[in-house]
Amino acid sequence: MFFQTLITGLAVGGIYALMAVGYSLVFSILNFSNFAYASIIMLGSYIGYYCLAKFGLSFPVALVVTMLGAGFLCFLNERIAYSSLRKRKAPSLYFMISAMGTSIFLENMVYATIGSSFMAYPEIFKQKALHIFNSAIGVLDLFAIIFSFVAIFVLHYFISASRTGIAIRAASYDSLICQINGVNLNILIGLVFVLAGILAGISGIFLGMKYMAYPTMGWITNKAYIAAVIGGLGSLPGAVVGGIILGVLESFVSVYISSIIRDVFSFSLLILLLLFLPAGLFGRYLEEKV
Amino acid sequence: MKKKLLILSLILVFALTMTACGSSQPQTIKIGHAVALTGGSSMWGQAEKNALEMEIDKINKAGGVLGKKLELVAYDTKAEQTEAVNITKRLAGDKVVAIIGPGQSGVAIAMTSVTETAGVPFVATTATNPKVTVDDTTNKVRKTAFRTCFIDPFQGTVAAQFALKDLNATKAAVLFDVGSDYSQGLRQYFVEAFTDGGGTIVADEAFRSEELDYRAILGKIKDKKPDVLFIPTMQKEAAMAMKQAKDLGMNVKFLGGDGWASPDLITLGGTATEGAYYVNLASLADPAIQDWIKAYKEKYNMEPVMPNPVMAVDGLLAVVDAIKKANSTEPAKIIEQLGKTKDLPVLSGKLTIDPNTHNPLNKPAVIETIKDGKFAFHARFVTTD
Repeated sequence: MFFQTLITGLAVGGIYALMAVGYSLVFSILNFSNFAYASIIMLGSYIGYYCLAKFGLSFPVALVVTMLGAGFLCFLNERIAYSSLRKRKAPSLYFMISAMGTSIFLENMVYATIGSSFMAYPEIFKQKALHIFNSAIGVLDLFAIIFSFVAIFVLHYFISASRTGIAIRAASYDSLICQINGVNLNILIGLVFVLAGILAGISGIFLGMKYMAYPTMGWITNKAYIAAVIGGLGSLPGAVVGGIILGVLESFVSVYISSIIRDVFSFSLLILLLLFLPAGLFGRYLEEKV
Repeated sequence: MKKKLLILSLILVFALTMTACGSSQPQTIKIGHAVALTGGSSMWGQAEKNALEMEIDKINKAGGVLGKKLELVAYDTKAEQTEAVNITKRLAGDKVVAIIGPGQSGVAIAMTSVTETAGVPFVATTATNPKVTVDDTTNKVRKTAFRTCFIDPFQGTVAAQFALKDLNATKAAVLFDVGSDYSQGLRQYFVEAFTDGGGTIVADEAFRSEELDYRAILGKIKDKKPDVLFIPTMQKEAAMAMKQAKDLGMNVKFLGGDGWASPDLITLGGTATEGAYYVNLASLADPAIQDWIKAYKEKYNMEPVMPNPVMAVDGLLAVVDAIKKANSTEPAKIIEQLGKTKDLPVLSGKLTIDPNTHNPLNKPAVIETIKDGKFAFHARFVTTD
């Protein structure tokens, strides 16, 4: 049972890690929690649903379309909701309010247009269990874990090795100096949001395949936030580690203590961390945790 | 600043006029409908509304009741307790003579706080928890609460005895929703009946409402090797549970209650639902209601999502009968007559309400199964005591 719980925890943690990285990416540059990220993931899930169920596209094509679509939506989100605030040098509180407003707006737009019923993804991966060391894992879960890690690795490589990546890291340290050094901050931030959106698209389509697409599915990003805090807001490797740790811990709490206590545990952990270890495991920033 | 003030006041006036312009039709008998039109239970809710509108049309074309036409006033409960209390207050304010619905036990119990003081009766459609009609703190029947469906003690017993006899199960596991009155109640009665019948419950796990990932818990259940996994929840959670159980390579028979009876179960659960069984209040294959199903299909271009529309029509016919017998539209008189309903021909057979519990007597149960991706009638079940 121990190993089964561990494997289940990794499967859940993989998705948390993906979302936490997207979250941390935006936090590292703009220093605020993008609460609208949940809605982008939800929209990504719906895009994936329409590609697979209504347009009958093949899975790889649907995945790419979802990634690009969600990336574009996240970019639009930034341009419409945050860029004007940024230009006016508004305090982070305004960004948060704008984010919440966007989130509520998008959720209700989906209610009003598509409707509130759950959209079931067609079965792409066979409903089979793969057995590793006497524990079982679904084919979809295994694929999701592997793909998530590949995506995060590609992102990490891009950020550490390419010129744009260096610019992003520079902007996360000090955006003013970065601009003085000739980086067009506007374009850079737009690009960061596109990247976050791509990750949201991947999360969305996997969440949709694992469960279903529905307007309030964005709630799960609260877990991503906890994962990002565990790893340290602003640190990308930290977000990955945080996601895995959270997934595995939740799994063990569910099995060995009580399944109902699981969320009580997760949020208590968040509170304890913010009180005693606000920088998380790898984090740099100690202010502006909200 | 002046311009902003002007625009703001224009918006305010506009909003107020919109709310004031409700339609008001004198000389109709208003029948309230507390129904989940959005959210997870919306497909049953919409089916109820469609069926009621179809039936009211029929009654109105035949001359109405006591010379007046019936009018359906439906508000969305979202299957939420707080929302339901709000809309019940609205319905009482709209002067409805009776309310059809709701379909959820927790919601119904919440509504009683308003209906008991307002004196407006409601006839629940698929709220099966016994606490809906009988207050468990005083053990007295609630004056305004009625229903047309069987209750969970009966349903739990049916499920348990079916598992013991037809599925030859000796060990059962239960996975239920801790936040749902329906789920808690059904689980309790199943566990009692299963252990009374000689079986053992090897695992009894709960999850929080709205939670969709049960893999950790299922891993724990898998270790105990049950013959049957009883999932007394709504279709969405049950579909996810079955899918995840199959992902873990679990080899059990799935069993459920009337909360499963939606096509959603199969679209969401996919091939994992194949061969699962569940207890239902009415079946699409029932020969007695085929004509009604045909009329519904012609009007709405889709099949009615069972069993709610049948239960709703039963409720409407009971209310209409009570109005006729009381020769009045006063809610207090309707309540009196509803309690005396006896052998009234309704859609699902004959309805007799027990005046002591406001529950219907002699409601049958059917066992349905999923075969080749579709619901199939399995058996009509009779319990042995």
